[in-house]
Amino acid sequence: MSSLGIIGEAARENSFVLLQIGHRRIALPAAQVAELAPPVRLHAFPHRTPLLAGVIVRRGRIVPVIDTEPVLGGKSPLSHRFYLIANRTIGGASELGAIPVNGECELVSGDMQPPAMDRPAYVAGTLTVGEESVDVLNLEAFSTGDSTPQDSEASR
Amino acid sequence: MTSATRLGEEATASGQASRRGRRSETVVLFIVANQMFAVAADSVHEIRSTDSIAGAANEIQHPEVPKVRHTIERSGRTYYVVNAGMHFGLPVSRPALVMILRRFRAALLVDRIDRMAEISGVYPLPQAFAGDDRRWYRGLAYLDDSVIPVVEPRGFLTPGEFQQLDRAQSEAARRDAEAVQA
Repeated sequence: MSSLGIIGEAARENSFVLLQIGHRRIALPAAQVAELAPPVRLHAFPHRTPLLAGVIVRRGRIVPVIDTEPVLGGKSPLSHRFYLIANRTIGGASELGAIPVNGECELVSGDMQPPAMDRPAYVAGTLTVGEESVDVLNLEAFSTGDSTPQDSEASR
Repeated sequence: MTSATRLGEEATASGQASRRGRRSETVVLFIVANQMFAVAADSVHEIRSTDSIAGAANEIQHPEVPKVRHTIERSGRTYYVVNAGMHFGLPVSRPALVMILRRFRAALLVDRIDRMAEISGVYPLPQAFAGDDRRWYRGLAYLDDSVIPVVEPRGFLTPGEFQQLDRAQSEAARRDAEAVQA
């Protein structure tokens, strides 16, 4: 989707991509977003890392796919139509990660507010979009094990 | 499967030649519980059917290493036979082959060998993988539109597990000797 390329170019510090994961609207800092990829084949193999679904191959790179379902809930196996590929930092290094998403992506601007004390680790902050308050996703939390299903709202 | 005995030597020669170029290497593709894995061919010493080595296998049990239930003697060395399905946490399958590794005192129970293949290189495992998988795999291979994990032979048994198994085996040998004396 070329619009994501435009989003990437237009990304500013206070720009966010609004996306649909399962039944939830989530925001991601636009500067982190690399591209929106079509639903290519997911390659799964045995592993012991929580919140990882497998990998996809995109533009000659092997990109790990984050399994957001245990944390965010609401996903059915056929419900995602794209992979949103974003940069995240793991162990001091930047690495691409893919999130299964559905629905439309939208670029919005706003000031992220810090999360409330009781918010789970995967929430970096909140963004007000119209009258709606949207969680801004902290992708790093998915790689540190801070976002466990027990920690999530989906399990409540 | 006698031809498999020289598998490693042939693969090493092939691998060295091609490594000058694209760092390609020859791998053995094997299947466990319908999941395909690759292992460097020069890490494999020998492949036998479970039937053919059944008589040479001895039972061993250690509660903390349940994936090993047998040892086999080959060329004067004792190899611990690791059930690859249990190691990777896969559903129970019916292993038909034993893949005896080179340089490590371990052998693998696998369902079947798919084939040998030349891969153009091993992609590093993404940093997102942070569990035991980092010990299990050398990296990933892309072959025939599939991503296949390339196993790390040393990852099948940790040094600690080797020590536990060595102790269990010594204890079993001591008990056997005492039983003979009695």
